Amino acid sequence: MKRIGTIVALLLATQVTAFAQDWDPGGALKKLSARASKTVDVTLDQSMLQFAGGFLDSKDPEQARAKKIIADMKGIYVHSFEFDKSGDYTEQDVAAIRNQLKGPEWSRIVDVTSKTEGQNVEVYFRKEGEKFKGLVVIATEPTELTFVDLEGPITPEDLRALGGQFGIPKVEVDPKAGKKGDSK
Amino acid sequence: MSDKLERELRKALERVEPPAGFAERVLARAAKEDASMPQPRTWLRWFGTGGLRWAAASALCVSLATSGILYHYEREKQGERAKEELMLALRITSSKLQFATQSVERMNFPEQRER
Repeated sequence: MKRIGTIVALLLATQVTAFAQDWDPGGALKKLSARASKTVDVTLDQSMLQFAGGFLDSKDPEQARAKKIIADMKGIYVHSFEFDKSGDYTEQDVAAIRNQLKGPEWSRIVDVTSKTEGQNVEVYFRKEGEKFKGLVVIATEPTELTFVDLEGPITPEDLRALGGQFGIPKVEVDPKAGKKGDSK
Repeated sequence: MSDKLERELRKALERVEPPAGFAERVLARAAKEDASMPQPRTWLRWFGTGGLRWAAASALCVSLATSGILYHYEREKQGERAKEELMLALRITSSKLQFATQSVERMNFPEQRER
């Protein structure tokens, strides 16, 4: 009976590994990196997150929030590319990454476009059962592309903390400031 | 028969006094041979003394302390770099999510937006 349990556990582990390997934008990112004039790559796996977390100062409110967010995170990967001129990257480049988020575990919860700023942000969540286990953000601007991949459980508190802090003053929504066609 | 054997044994094992000056001659010869033996080099002689043992122990302590300090310093530097990278990643994520959040919130107040 124990042996059957072990075999089932191994099979499940294999499935989880296979699932984790579905999302691998590495090749597409390499192509973009070759064309970009400036690249920011942040790759922090679980061990690096724990290591970095040890250096966060709990007395600093920003760092304390960061510590809370990364507590259960398995990885944070951010790739940001700046291009010299508009058209240096194409929609196909973005589609190559977006297409990897089409599995049933992924759901796009936000897709906003600002025509005035020429910015588009898509937010995808990865669900495992009833829990959110990851978040991917694809942000495009005429000369800038950003991909964010947060691996691990994301709570509403994490999102709230991420959505308006970390050196960026939390901007209360001023309804008068909105313009028609700003969002889709 | 046995008396004869006993007498012979006694005679053979009888204590014989050494010739006069034998002990002095043996000691003198030993001293002479010792002096003619090649002496170890000065630094090799250190091994036999406490000086080198103290020097080796001190050097080991110094090198261990230096390695410890360097390791700590390097780890501190790596940790600070990892922390900076983490904060940068969270700031970038935050800026993009903030844009999305604001846009969604604007959509939730369309009547106010039109005012």
